[in-house]
Amino acid sequence: MRLDPGGEDFHRGVAVLVFSVILILPLLTTRAMAHKVNVFGWVEGDRVFVEGYFRGGKKAKDSLVEVFNEAGVKLLEGRTDETGRFSFKIPEKTDVRIVLTASMGHKNDFIVSASDFRESPSKSSRTPWVSAESRTVSAPTLEDPSRLETMIEQTMDRKLAPVIQLIRDSKKEGPTVAEIIGGIGYIFGLVGVAMYFNSRKKRSGGQRAAGSGQQDMGN
Amino acid sequence: MHISEGVLSAPVLLTGAVLTATGVAVGLKKMKNEQLPLVGVLSSAFFVSSLIHIPVGPSAVHLVLNGLLGLLLGWVAFPAILVGVSLQALIFQFGGLTTLGVNTFNMAMPAILCYYLFARHISQDHPGVAMVLAFGCGFVAILLSAILVALSLIFTGESFVAAAKLLVVAHLPVMVVEAVVSALSLGFLMKVRPEILGVPHAT
Repeated sequence: MRLDPGGEDFHRGVAVLVFSVILILPLLTTRAMAHKVNVFGWVEGDRVFVEGYFRGGKKAKDSLVEVFNEAGVKLLEGRTDETGRFSFKIPEKTDVRIVLTASMGHKNDFIVSASDFRESPSKSSRTPWVSAESRTVSAPTLEDPSRLETMIEQTMDRKLAPVIQLIRDSKKEGPTVAEIIGGIGYIFGLVGVAMYFNSRKKRSGGQRAAGSGQQDMGN
Repeated sequence: MHISEGVLSAPVLLTGAVLTATGVAVGLKKMKNEQLPLVGVLSSAFFVSSLIHIPVGPSAVHLVLNGLLGLLLGWVAFPAILVGVSLQALIFQFGGLTTLGVNTFNMAMPAILCYYLFARHISQDHPGVAMVLAFGCGFVAILLSAILVALSLIFTGESFVAAAKLLVVAHLPVMVVEAVVSALSLGFLMKVRPEILGVPHAT
């Protein structure tokens, strides 16, 4: 049986398929997960914390973590634990690039800037997992500028903790419905463009009169 | 299935890009105007199927649907998969732009092979046999993709056997799911839209 693109059957066939794709969508949004690996690093006191997770929030367990300095020299390496986390003491005061390699060719990196790890006097009192309230800011002593700087660092840390948490969480989310629909729309757009040029070619050339009913395409 | 940016060396990336460019050129040449809507729909299905996630082991795997694309499109699966992979890279950040060639090839080549191995022998006179062939098509496409991904990783220090074992084992559930999806899709199309199946076979 020859396909008749202008025919009612064909349109119905395509409509059925499109409809099926659209039907799957709601199912996807509830469990929109996939397998891009993410890595996120942040500084707590004198340690750098690394967390690896796949998009959708699944932890990247037992994945290789390598830490490089600005010059690309490897400073240290380790593996994430059961919760997808790894931490290390700040090795030197340069920007560090944290590279996480999960299995099956998944890899990503994150840069922790050197400016994040200034001296943090209250490091020992800090709990590693952002409990902002527990951080104390010592009384201002304005004679000492470096002291003031430390204070500002601490305040910033505290103020930014929720923001960092937000960023960390936001990266775990899967793609939005808008992104998914946008992608599908893009593909349909491409089909439209291809059809447009095909129909123009046919109109101007007139040759290639293969297939029945092709002239109806792209109207 | 999507290899991330910065994992592969330049020669592997280049080889993948050249092979994909060739495959896409062949696919575009073979693509018929009346196939366009179907190509678009299947490309979209490929694009969204990567969001259907099956939790396995330390990593995460998802549906690919390359077997189904090979089954219905033949060589035209190449451009359809390239479009899908590109959008997955741009929108979902799966894989990356430099790995576009390798990733497309890893998923599209098995589709073509399965088209020749299974899809060409499908006849609508024997629906039972056709569904078994579609099942094989979905299953083997993923298996071959897993092996191709392992092959791509061969120069990265990972041992081929270890990587292949991991990938194949992790994708076992995907193979089964895709085999079933391919068989059911074919069964559905044979009943409802048999003319769609005629398209890739028409010369």
